[in-house]
Amino acid sequence: MTQLTSIPQAIIAPELSWVGLALLLPLLAAVACALCCALRVKGKAAAIITILALAASFGIIVKAYFAYTGPVQVPIFQWIDFEWGAGQFQSFNANCALYIDTLTLFWMLFVTGLGTLIAIYASEYMEGYCGSGYSRFFFGICIFLFSMSALVMGDNLIMLYLGWEGVGLASYLLIGFDYARPAAVAAGKKAFIMNRIGDLGLALGIFMLWANYGTLQYSELFAAMNKGGQTSVDWDLSVIPFLLMLGAFGKSAQIPLFTWLPDAMEGPTPVSALIHAATMVTAGVYLIARMYPFFELHPEALATVAWVGGLTALLAATIGMAQYDIKRVFAYSTISQLGYMFLGLGVGTSFGACYHTLTHAFFKALLFLTAGAIMHGFAGQLDLRKLSGLRHIPGWRIVSWTMLVGCLWLSAFPYTAAFFSKDAILLQALTSVRADFRFLGWLGLFTAALTAYYTFRVWFRVCAGPLHFEPGAEAHSESHDHHAPSTHAAHTTAPAAKSDHSFHPHAPRWAINGVLLILALGAVVVGVPAYNQAFAHKDNWAQQMIAGSSAMQGAGLAEDHGSQASVEHPKVLGMDAHTGLTIVGCTASIGGILIAWYFHLGSRKSADQLRAALLRRWWIRWVPICMENKWYVDEIYHFCFRLPMWLGSQILYFADRHFLDGVMVDGLAKIPIAVGKLFRPLYGGALQGYASTMAGGIALVVAWLSWIWLRGFN
Amino acid sequence: MLLIWTSILFPILAAFAVAIGPTKSAKWTAFAGTLVSLGALTLFAWNFPAWHNAEHFPNTTGPSWIPQAGITFSVGFDTVSLLLALLSAFLMPLCIAGSFSSITERTKEYYGWFLVLGSSIILAFAARDAILFYIGYEFTLVPMTLIIAIYGGTERRVAAIKMFLYTFLGSMFMLATLLYIGWEHRLAVGAWDFDIDTLTKTTIRLPSSTQYWIFAALMVGFAVKVPLFPLHTWLPLAHDQAPTAGSVILASAMLKLGTYGNYRFALPMAPAGGAELMSVVAVLAIIAIIYASLICWVQTDAKKLVAYSSVAHLGLCMLGLFALNPVGAEGAVFYMVNHGLSTGALFLCIGMFYERYHTKDTDVVGGLAKRMPIWASFMVLFTMASIGLPGLNGFIGEVLCLGGTFISEHDGQSGYPGVLGPWYAIVAGLGLIFAAMYLLILLGKLVWGPLREPHDDAAHASSAVRLSPDINFREIAILTPLAIACIWLGLQPKPMLDAIAPCAERMLANYPKEVERLMAQSAGTPLASLNNTTNESSSE
Repeated sequence: MTQLTSIPQAIIAPELSWVGLALLLPLLAAVACALCCALRVKGKAAAIITILALAASFGIIVKAYFAYTGPVQVPIFQWIDFEWGAGQFQSFNANCALYIDTLTLFWMLFVTGLGTLIAIYASEYMEGYCGSGYSRFFFGICIFLFSMSALVMGDNLIMLYLGWEGVGLASYLLIGFDYARPAAVAAGKKAFIMNRIGDLGLALGIFMLWANYGTLQYSELFAAMNKGGQTSVDWDLSVIPFLLMLGAFGKSAQIPLFTWLPDAMEGPTPVSALIHAATMVTAGVYLIARMYPFFELHPEALATVAWVGGLTALLAATIGMAQYDIKRVFAYSTISQLGYMFLGLGVGTSFGACYHTLTHAFFKALLFLTAGAIMHGFAGQLDLRKLSGLRHIPGWRIVSWTMLVGCLWLSAFPYTAAFFSKDAILLQALTSVRADFRFLGWLGLFTAALTAYYTFRVWFRVCAGPLHFEPGAEAHSESHDHHAPSTHAAHTTAPAAKSDHSFHPHAPRWAINGVLLILALGAVVVGVPAYNQAFAHKDNWAQQMIAGSSAMQGAGLAEDHGSQASVEHPKVLGMDAHTGLTIVGCTASIGGILIAWYFHLGSRKSADQLRAALLRRWWIRWVPICMENKWYVDEIYHFCFRLPMWLGSQILYFADRHFLDGVMVDGLAKIPIAVGKLFRPLYGGALQGYASTMAGGIALVVAWLSWIWLRGFN
Repeated sequence: MLLIWTSILFPILAAFAVAIGPTKSAKWTAFAGTLVSLGALTLFAWNFPAWHNAEHFPNTTGPSWIPQAGITFSVGFDTVSLLLALLSAFLMPLCIAGSFSSITERTKEYYGWFLVLGSSIILAFAARDAILFYIGYEFTLVPMTLIIAIYGGTERRVAAIKMFLYTFLGSMFMLATLLYIGWEHRLAVGAWDFDIDTLTKTTIRLPSSTQYWIFAALMVGFAVKVPLFPLHTWLPLAHDQAPTAGSVILASAMLKLGTYGNYRFALPMAPAGGAELMSVVAVLAIIAIIYASLICWVQTDAKKLVAYSSVAHLGLCMLGLFALNPVGAEGAVFYMVNHGLSTGALFLCIGMFYERYHTKDTDVVGGLAKRMPIWASFMVLFTMASIGLPGLNGFIGEVLCLGGTFISEHDGQSGYPGVLGPWYAIVAGLGLIFAAMYLLILLGKLVWGPLREPHDDAAHASSAVRLSPDINFREIAILTPLAIACIWLGLQPKPMLDAIAPCAERMLANYPKEVERLMAQSAGTPLASLNNTTNESSSE
């Protein structure tokens, strides 16, 4: 397959090493936070250090963005580096160096930017932990930002792996932040282990790349691709993208490794917003975008990505429709939106995928932060059946309205940024020459309607409607020294907090409100470039950012489709593809919102009636049951993998003790004892015994000598 | 030379001083003795000329001991043995300091034997004479057996005897083989000589079938020590019963004698045997990884879990070593040091909470982050190092071992053909997932979760030294150097990798040829010649 455009070659630019500060500052801040932790600092020093460091690293990235002229490689220091010959395959180099192209900058801009904002938010949100876990929390955030920066900016796949595992560690530590709760600990463990399964795929993919190309540096790998790449369909070459995508599916919570993400909501909400919605989970998208040329070599690999993405989007959306916990709804929507990104990558529009990553980062962080504000104020209450009409409470208006912005964006309301980014993906799918991609496109549109429905189900339930709320579990507990919200709420001493009137929700202050406003504004503004210049045009800012990198659209496979598309003018529903898709997309989005409005604002009773009606009919009953129980995926995994393995391990342990050690080793040791026992009667201790033994011995010796003597005569 | 002997003999002198001196000062005498030993070795390493130069090895001749048998007191280091000796010497004072509060009875004997243990380990690493090596190797068993049998847990006697007999039986094979090699040398040259380099030169000239048996016999001896599946069953018991410091030295230094033996004797001495048996050892190593990891998963005893994890980790180390290429060998040596650091530190951590709660059962005690936050931070760090988190030391060894296995293929683009290849790496890689599973389960029970403490006041009252709830300054001072080493080696592995590289290449010098010869034999001529031509064309 010929490459129509080659990947721009990176030049080595040691003079840009100041960009490395973006990596170093979070690390230093982490050390400082650890010191705060060790010195048991009671104040907010850790938060201030973190915010300053992250803001500085955001500033550095912005500066790098304006100084950007072309892809560069910035060496910092030698990490793992040795060679044993001069040949191409006789070295192993993974140095600490940066690879900066537009894709890197694109990612880093929103990672550090959102990181800073969420750190500001968290400085207020986590203040209940001052003195007990506050510094530890910001230590985790700093480790996360360091690792994420290493992941995105690293110049080789080992650096990427370093970041990849590092964000996993940060995620583990932060999900299990409230370590006294077993659920949080279990969720952290689950996240780490499920990620580790994907990581094995990534690690093997990296080895496979190294074994086949003799290098792990992006610039050298891309140079090899520019030379025509490896077009062979060799077994171990075609397996590379599949191994890499396993890693991506683990980190980005796609089928079959998605079940950890909803559980990860046990972590503090800023963590859910930053790590489990906006940045870390997009690492899989980044990996595939970065290694896109290798995926394009194998169309079936891209098709797999597309199918996994499309099906995950649908599956997660169906689960999200039936959850009652606001954060869980948003978690499933994250999985679903990540599914869209993978669908975009799979059908060949890496631009659409990356653009959707950007818009999603903003609106999903916003949504999680509003959910966090609600959780903070209502003593941990997140059940959307128990909250209603928040927009009527003064002090909660900012939360309500910014949440509306987030919901509109998530449901891809016409002429929001997410509408454009989602349509970029769906358009590519629907105009594809492959029938299965077109099918996935329609599936994506259906999922978009579901998305609009479950998103506004939350908003209509929680923010609209009559004012009514019940505080969460933390309001009742007397031993609340470990939870943030309750320490602040004035109600904590009230014994009868059960009635609504004795409970006064604790409205967010400037840090939370300010961040929500900035993010809402950001969500609006990110849409603007796309709004001004029609999104499909080549001069869109996001388009330019992606096109200048290795993730460029149409380096191979997709370009073929593009050229065919321009010839045939593909149609959607008999109309021009753009117009058709806009109409269908608007219909899906607004239709979903209207349905949500009817069931969750207009007449809330009918929602319960519908559910009851579904449950009454045996042939449809399984649908709501499965949706509410997450399609039993956790249970299936437990019975298919965990339980047999656990039983096998018990058997092995038993065999190790009783067979290998008991029978083999101890059995062997018994042989000398048995031999000894055989002769023991000879040494009974009685004199006559010894005398007879001696006589017998003499007799034996005599017999032996005489036998020799006799034989000698023969 | 003087420095080496100082580091070997000073602990023994200190042991005498401990024996003669008052009981009160025993621990400080012992501590000082190990510090001097470490200092001498560090000074030697500081001036070591061969860090970056494979050809230059310091003078290895020593005073003759039994001239008739060609046995000498020659000691000397190459970078690998120096690193391992430094590791042992580094852990010694930490272990002694770690025993201050846990050993309250018969302290003089304890510290005396501990010093002897330290010096015999350093002797084994330093020896350039095969018999001297054997003496050091074998003599470690005596103090270790006593330490386990006197200061260990409830089944300490059984554990000590089993460890002694099992490993002693293994090393008999090794001794017999070394004597046989010496005899072969005498046949060839006319005089006995046990210098390791001389013996190596002798054996590589022996016919392949002889080398095969030499390798197999040496391998049996070292495999017990490593321990390689299925010869590992002495280890969990010994670890379980040993006192904390004994476990640390057992895991961090004594097991390394097994892998070091492979590096120093089995592999370079009998390349034909090594090349022929590489897949056998690799398969055993992979079984060890999977088998031990799965067993770890169902352990409720923290110490046993770490003990079984040692079996798995050293399986990976052996796999890297037997990939028979520089990446794997380098990774394996790196891994030896790292395993010593992180597993030793884990044993120390477990010992610290054991001293406070007198149980290692994770079902009984847990959620200690609330009670012992500083300890918990260290525990998390060392667990992560053990899992192989990049940026910490474990990762470098792991990735190199697996990478070495991965490219140990027929085509031999790396210049080092092998017979392992991707499938071996894939199966061994499952160990990475399992490692995360069992170690995080350990963390989840022990460190996180609601606080669970046994209310056993009797046990608390009986302990002579009352300990603070969280680890005290002494214990922090013990763990901090280990933590720094873990982080430093993870971030800056290059100096050490550079130091190991020439040694790894020297060890493997004969392997490409041997492996190619074997592959040509087994594959039949037409295919082999095809392979050769493709190799030549690709190299051009």
